[in-house]
Amino acid sequence: MRLRAFRLAAWLGWQMESNWTDPWLFAVYSIIKPVSSALILVVMYYVVTGGQTQGDLFAGLYVGNAFFMYVGQLMFGMSWVVMEDREFFRTFKYMYLAAPSIYWYLTGRAVAKFLVTSLAVAVVLGFGTAFLDLPLALGAVRWGYLAAVLALGILACVAFGLLMAGIMVISARHGQGYAESFAGVLYLLCGVVFPLDVLPAPLQPVGRAIPFTYWIEGVRRALMGRGMSPSLAGVDDGAILAILLLSSLATLAVAVLFYAWMERIARDRGLIDQVTEH
Amino acid sequence: MLEELERNLRAVRARAYVRVVGTFRELSWVAFEIAMPLLSVGAYVFLYRALGAPERYIGYVLLGGAMTAYWLNVLWSMASQFYWEKQSGQLEIFFITPVSRMSILAGMAAGGMFMSTARALGTLVLGSWLFGVQYRMEGIWAGLGIFLLTLAALYGLGMVGASLFMMYGREAWHTANLLQEPIYLLSGFYFPVRALPRWLAAAAGIIPITLGLDAIRQVVFPGAVDGLLDPGLEAALLAVSCAAYFVLAHAALRKLEDLAKREGRLTLRWQ
Amino acid sequence: MNAIPDGRAREAAVLAQGVSRWFTDTRRQRHQDGSDAPAGPRRVVALDRVSLEVQPGELFGLLGPNGAGKSTLIKILSTLLLPSEGTVRVAGYDVVRQAHQVRRRINVVSGGETVGYGILTVRETLWMFSQFYGLANGPALKMIDEYLETFGLADNAHTRVNKLSTGMRQKMNFIRGLLNAPDVLFLDEPTLGLDVQTARIIRDFIRDWMRRRPGRTVLLTTHYMAEAEELCDRIAIIDRGRILACDTPDGLKRRVQSHSVFRIEAARLDAPPEADGRWPGIERISWEPHPATGRTRITVIAADDAAVTPLLADLRERGADIIHLSKVEPTLEDVFLQVVGRGLGEHSGA
Repeated sequence: MRLRAFRLAAWLGWQMESNWTDPWLFAVYSIIKPVSSALILVVMYYVVTGGQTQGDLFAGLYVGNAFFMYVGQLMFGMSWVVMEDREFFRTFKYMYLAAPSIYWYLTGRAVAKFLVTSLAVAVVLGFGTAFLDLPLALGAVRWGYLAAVLALGILACVAFGLLMAGIMVISARHGQGYAESFAGVLYLLCGVVFPLDVLPAPLQPVGRAIPFTYWIEGVRRALMGRGMSPSLAGVDDGAILAILLLSSLATLAVAVLFYAWMERIARDRGLIDQVTEH
Repeated sequence: MLEELERNLRAVRARAYVRVVGTFRELSWVAFEIAMPLLSVGAYVFLYRALGAPERYIGYVLLGGAMTAYWLNVLWSMASQFYWEKQSGQLEIFFITPVSRMSILAGMAAGGMFMSTARALGTLVLGSWLFGVQYRMEGIWAGLGIFLLTLAALYGLGMVGASLFMMYGREAWHTANLLQEPIYLLSGFYFPVRALPRWLAAAAGIIPITLGLDAIRQVVFPGAVDGLLDPGLEAALLAVSCAAYFVLAHAALRKLEDLAKREGRLTLRWQ
Repeated sequence: MNAIPDGRAREAAVLAQGVSRWFTDTRRQRHQDGSDAPAGPRRVVALDRVSLEVQPGELFGLLGPNGAGKSTLIKILSTLLLPSEGTVRVAGYDVVRQAHQVRRRINVVSGGETVGYGILTVRETLWMFSQFYGLANGPALKMIDEYLETFGLADNAHTRVNKLSTGMRQKMNFIRGLLNAPDVLFLDEPTLGLDVQTARIIRDFIRDWMRRRPGRTVLLTTHYMAEAEELCDRIAIIDRGRILACDTPDGLKRRVQSHSVFRIEAARLDAPPEADGRWPGIERISWEPHPATGRTRITVIAADDAAVTPLLADLRERGADIIHLSKVEPTLEDVFLQVVGRGLGEHSGA
């Protein structure tokens, strides 16, 4: 039943994501958005370094930024489902009652975002390789390690998405930007576009406690054979994977409990079907 | 005429009231809209520090981050608002009232300004203190003036966007979503727009934030010599675009409402 | 069918002439056998040359099944939709070219909608809408408080809208429709989904509201026969975008007065009789199965009393038990059946 709910939710998510326009415009949308996001960093880098892109820093930040799109999109995707279904389509209460597991429903709705983002990541990496001297060679990629790291990272994304969804359940309509804001904080703390060592000392332990720090580091190692943060250089690949596994599972456990807690508050206050549009 | 004006002003006030009341009745935004945006902007600050950029670039990032609040307000809480109203079935009730659509939008903008300003000030003031950003005090008033012009032009552009949302619904929503990052890029939210090819930067001038950010940076940050155009010229262009956008918004809202009514899209939900 | 009476003297509150509205369906069409039709837009006609005139002070009903075109017509009259052809004037102004003037004089209350911002209170929501009509704060709030009292919402004035029941929200929505003291009030199924008591309150209020200012006009759409019969001075029956009949309730009933109307209740009727014209003299027949009781209610409109005999014999041959048979005075429901060819929610034929 749960798998069926997941499949149905994935189908629904795909319908919502793709049926608003023709395939051509959808493809344009799927390319322009991520490439623009990557180019912001590229221009920032160019402006300071005068166009040098051969360094490790550029490669590290480019790859980090590309894969971080999963974080923002999956967090947004899962939390937005609550807001949109509740406020506009007024179907959240029905899904809540009908779906065998709301967790599976929310995760299923994020599948479409995952697929679209995967396309975006591939486009951004391809763009970087073709035009910005990004040192990526398909033959040099450690595919097995990449698959393992990626799977665990997506698990962490789902966990954080569930956290945000829990917040949405008790938040009013103006909460639509929360996931983006929260993703921005993770962007700062997880060494996505600069080495973790650049962060002020009090913030570095916070970054080390977040699974995405290890995820991004692991992805860099899988794709380019090296990471970006000197402070993580002493952590071997297996340890990166192990820490990522443990931290993702821990985050998922916390997220499930948190969502259950928020749901209880919502049921107590009659917020499951509240409409707060203003 | 006076009666008409009074009615429209009342409509602005009433619609703004909804936003302001909504903001204060659920306060989770204080954490998410003030603290977190500052931290996410901090990522670009640390990137510039890691690259060894001049200190004024930190100020550029903070200013860009502050303007993000208004850009997002225009895009999601104003331009797309008719789409949301349609989804929730309110649009029809607004559209049978004898007030200008621009009054309704102005009310939404005014009401949303509070949260946007709180976010912008949080980013700017706290960020400046945290990262030790210096300002040219003699340029502050000019910067404020240019900022207000930018805002007026931006909201005019938002009204033009609202007409498209009213007509095209979800397609417009996704298009706005599509435009978010390209606008950050082309308007130089986080870097001097002069870094882009000149023709591209000039084309991006159609977005008020491009010229607004560039002008404000030149007048408030010491050592800012990487502007696109003279700040006075940029302010003048902003004033012209402000007037142009409002005129365009008036015409676009009428035309697209007419078209929406002709095609039956005005009351069509979930399209 | 033209719903404009002869000899009209003063300007009508609502005047629609030859109004049609169609939508273009651009989806690829399928034939009945499942094969694709040639690509090309298909015109879906929602209103087909509708003409009607409502006089000031009249409570005019528009009766029809779901999908008949009632709401489409209301949207055109209230300036939310443009007609594809025809002209419409409301409160003396053209809805296409003088929409702004029309809006100052009308309001619309739709049933089944969840109106209002959940985060505002009832009083705040009503105040907000009053401002859109330019009412000064003091008089607006005074009027709102009076209406809240009238509709029994005074205790909920400071309750957030998202905490209200459906009935309360509709009452609030109804008050919203009255704030600008409209010359023409469009009520689009205003009692849809409401409990009996709330529906009664709204109906009583409508009558009283019109009595207090004789020039007010109400155009009511409904598919509740009893509501139409109770409230309306005249009723137009609309189906598939066309006005099929228009008269006072008594006038409409007289259309079937020359006929005999029978109600039959049958048990153990496995399948309804085929309506293939095999019973001469029977003009319309509709049946409504009630699975819970195992019985079927059959309404028959016949040219004379004797015409029903072969039908009764046919039912007995099928093994049905005739529980009840009565001849009744024609109701609006019978008029609808006779004019449209089917009941509002029934299977039918002749």
